[in-house]
Amino acid sequence: MKDRKRLPLPVPVFSRLVFPLAASFLLGLAAPSVPAAGDKAAIEPRADELLKRMGDYLGQAQFFSVNAEIWQDIELSSGQRVQADRTVTLQVRRPDRLHTEVHSTRRNHELFYDGDAITLFNRAQNFYGTVHTSGPLDDAMDVASERFGIAIPLEDFIRSDPHKDFLARAVSGVDLGPVTVMGVPCEHLAFTQDNIDWQVWIQDGAAPVPKKFVITYKDEPDSPQFTAIFSNWDFTTKLPDFVFKFEPPAGAAKIKVQEIKAENQSHKTEEK
Amino acid sequence: MKTATDFIRMPSLSKTGRLLAVGLPALLLAFPLLCADRGAPRAAAPRAAVVDRTSHGSVRHVDTHVVQRPAPARPEPVRPEPARPVEVRPNVAPRTVVAPPRNVVVHRDVEADVHRAHVWDDFAFGRRLRTLPVGFLNFQVGGVPYWYDDGIYYQQATDGYQEVYPPVGAEIPEPPDGAIEIDGGGGEVYYYAGGAFYEQQADGSYAIVPTPIGVVVPELPPGAAPISINGTTAYQFNGIDYEPVFVNGVTQYQTFAQ
Repeated sequence: MKDRKRLPLPVPVFSRLVFPLAASFLLGLAAPSVPAAGDKAAIEPRADELLKRMGDYLGQAQFFSVNAEIWQDIELSSGQRVQADRTVTLQVRRPDRLHTEVHSTRRNHELFYDGDAITLFNRAQNFYGTVHTSGPLDDAMDVASERFGIAIPLEDFIRSDPHKDFLARAVSGVDLGPVTVMGVPCEHLAFTQDNIDWQVWIQDGAAPVPKKFVITYKDEPDSPQFTAIFSNWDFTTKLPDFVFKFEPPAGAAKIKVQEIKAENQSHKTEEK
Repeated sequence: MKTATDFIRMPSLSKTGRLLAVGLPALLLAFPLLCADRGAPRAAAPRAAVVDRTSHGSVRHVDTHVVQRPAPARPEPVRPEPARPVEVRPNVAPRTVVAPPRNVVVHRDVEADVHRAHVWDDFAFGRRLRTLPVGFLNFQVGGVPYWYDDGIYYQQATDGYQEVYPPVGAEIPEPPDGAIEIDGGGGEVYYYAGGAFYEQQADGSYAIVPTPIGVVVPELPPGAAPISINGTTAYQFNGIDYEPVFVNGVTQYQTFAQ
């Protein structure tokens, strides 16, 4: 019996291959199939490269303006799905100036950030409200979103490092190849996250700007989409201070800006 | 004659190899089935925001929930014991009260500009009608007769009927079409339409309650009149003041008492 135990196992070649293969396969089964967020391995190099090129182009631009048409899936109280439309104008001057205007049939509201305060202006009703905050655009936009619930239109493209922020929670990304958006040759990139999928169409050539952007909220009932079509990218027209400085029109009434998350007090902000 | 080595190695290992040779492809074929649930549609996550996150249109702020809304389902109400014997119908399922009702706007979007006209949008206090709309309800509140249709309340007038403010205590089977769900802040859920705040009752009906002070509504009651209080713009409807305030970046209205 002792001898038997000491005998080397003359494992056939087939079995020598099969065991490691099977073990590897079973280990693969046990491993999560979805890569962790931020795992670069799940982002195709080409997709990453194109997104970074776009991000660098926007993030390094000292100033720009752009228009966008936004379509958003909405469910009526009857359950019927419709699309709501609005147009957005963005004017950005780094490091700390922003003006946005959102316009639709019944609404028209603007946001001004002059490096010292964020002012909301409801042009249709001539109301405005101001909150003090300072710092670079990234910080101001976080204050607006997280403390006051303000949706900065298309803020992902305004941030100082769009590539980094876009991929912060992405779990996969692919380059779906060349397509045409509104007659403009673009590269179509598609990314996934835990609860959303998002796509961006980046213009070919020396100015890699986004021409289209879609978010699919796959954890919402019926996976509604948010779609933005960009136009009139302008990196040459200078944006003077007055663009970002709010001056109340005649008869404008000042109203409060309600803070919605009292527990999130990381930024120094107060109502004016 | 088999040696000990033969005895140990040949049958067991070759059998294992054969098993794996057959089993591995089978496992490979079964793999998609084993993992089928990974690609299956996920159950919809509970939505925790009054403001649709889709309004943000932001990857960075995809989970920035702006306002927590109350739980979507409410417990089965406690029904009072019937005063007299009632007919038992065993084939009728017990009623489950689930809020909100289908005709209520649940997720108030701050950015999307979609407007559906409702009958109660056209309310005008004191407007007179010779005849009531088809399908009206008739009931009494505190002994006073009222008529009701599509979010508008009427009282009898000399030459017919006139539109009146929604009476507190009136009960209707369901909120008016297009009523907006309002979070009362303390766990209360109101359904707001035509300047009235409805609350679900134990029997499943909806009763008008006194206007809660301090709640925010996305639109003014129909016909609210502008007023000025210490230089501040406000609006008044049925004795209640509504102060405009930026909530989630857009103008909404907060009820307050002077």
